[in-house]
Amino acid sequence: MSAICGILRASFDDYLADRLPAPQRRILREHLAECDGCRGAALGRDASFAFARPLADDVAPAEAAAILASVRAGVAHLEADRRIRAGRPTRRRSAVAAAAAAVGLLALTVAGGSARRESPVAALPAVAPTPVADSVLSGGEFEAAGLPAESAAPLSNATVYDLNPGAGREEPRVVWIVDRGLDI
Amino acid sequence: MELVYSERLERQGIGELPDRDLAIGARGGDMLCFETLVSRKTPAVVSLARRIVGNTEDARDVAQMVFLRVWKEIHRYDERYSLNTWLYRIATNLAIDFLRSSRSRERAHGATLHLVREREESTAGGATRSAEDRELARLFEIVSDRLSEKQKAAFVLREMEDCDTKDIALILGCGESTVRNHLFNARRILRKEIARLYPEFLRGRTLA
Repeated sequence: MSAICGILRASFDDYLADRLPAPQRRILREHLAECDGCRGAALGRDASFAFARPLADDVAPAEAAAILASVRAGVAHLEADRRIRAGRPTRRRSAVAAAAAAVGLLALTVAGGSARRESPVAALPAVAPTPVADSVLSGGEFEAAGLPAESAAPLSNATVYDLNPGAGREEPRVVWIVDRGLDI
Repeated sequence: MELVYSERLERQGIGELPDRDLAIGARGGDMLCFETLVSRKTPAVVSLARRIVGNTEDARDVAQMVFLRVWKEIHRYDERYSLNTWLYRIATNLAIDFLRSSRSRERAHGATLHLVREREESTAGGATRSAEDRELARLFEIVSDRLSEKQKAAFVLREMEDCDTKDIALILGCGESTVRNHLFNARRILRKEIARLYPEFLRGRTLA
């Protein structure tokens, strides 16, 4: 037992109570890793001293490479997911805009057609199946679907069938417009 | 002919950068910086996770989750603080979560899983560790089973990773006095468990 052993053994209690300053703590840990006598004395004082050292725990290169490869794949997946998520609203907006344009165009055509004609079939009884009242689009529903209110211009001689009731901003609304004013 | 670009040379140059610069590079989306950081920190993260979750296989899974979390959260990294503290915080939290879920699984499946793991651990993956360290690691895995997750994490960070109490408080998200309490209780439980399970260790300092 050297002189330093006596000094360091006197600091066991401070070490256990977490009162030892960092440099002294480091010196004690390094000494315990090298000195069998002091390690034995420390274990006799408190068995948890057995773990007062960094355990050599090297990661094999193959293991590290496998972890890196998995992380790389995971990051690629996350990034792809992020890009898909970022792209979705744009596509959704485009779909809604396209649907709005189509409905708007049809509405204009219908309005124009009824204005031009004397509406010869207006007096005829309805041939097409009667739409469910809820499924007919109103101006408010157009707004709910993200469409401009003007799109819901009065369709004097047409019936609008809602093939996708309940759709809102999340997906485009699909409608079927039967224009009895058109002479096809 | 002049060499304009070489990934190998670039990687060598990046490999010399300090942690903080690599983290800043990764935060800016530089994958090379991020991968260099992963390679550099893998041993420390696996080692910490292994102490907390108790086996190599799970520690590897935790390490992967840690680095993926780092990639996702790198925009939050504040370079005024130590990267290690931030990284250890993520690693400790994920390892604790993993331990909690695996403990509940073990409770559901009985002790079989633990025994299988123990056997796997003693036969695989330890080629680079010294016999004494393997012995101590196995001892710790067994006697630390009665520690709470926080006690275990505090003890591993303090004794094996040699972290400051202040850093451990940051990592665990609690006060320094709480960390000291965890350490005090962890020592008490470990002392008891070693005396109960391995009294011969205290006499001869070797496992049977």
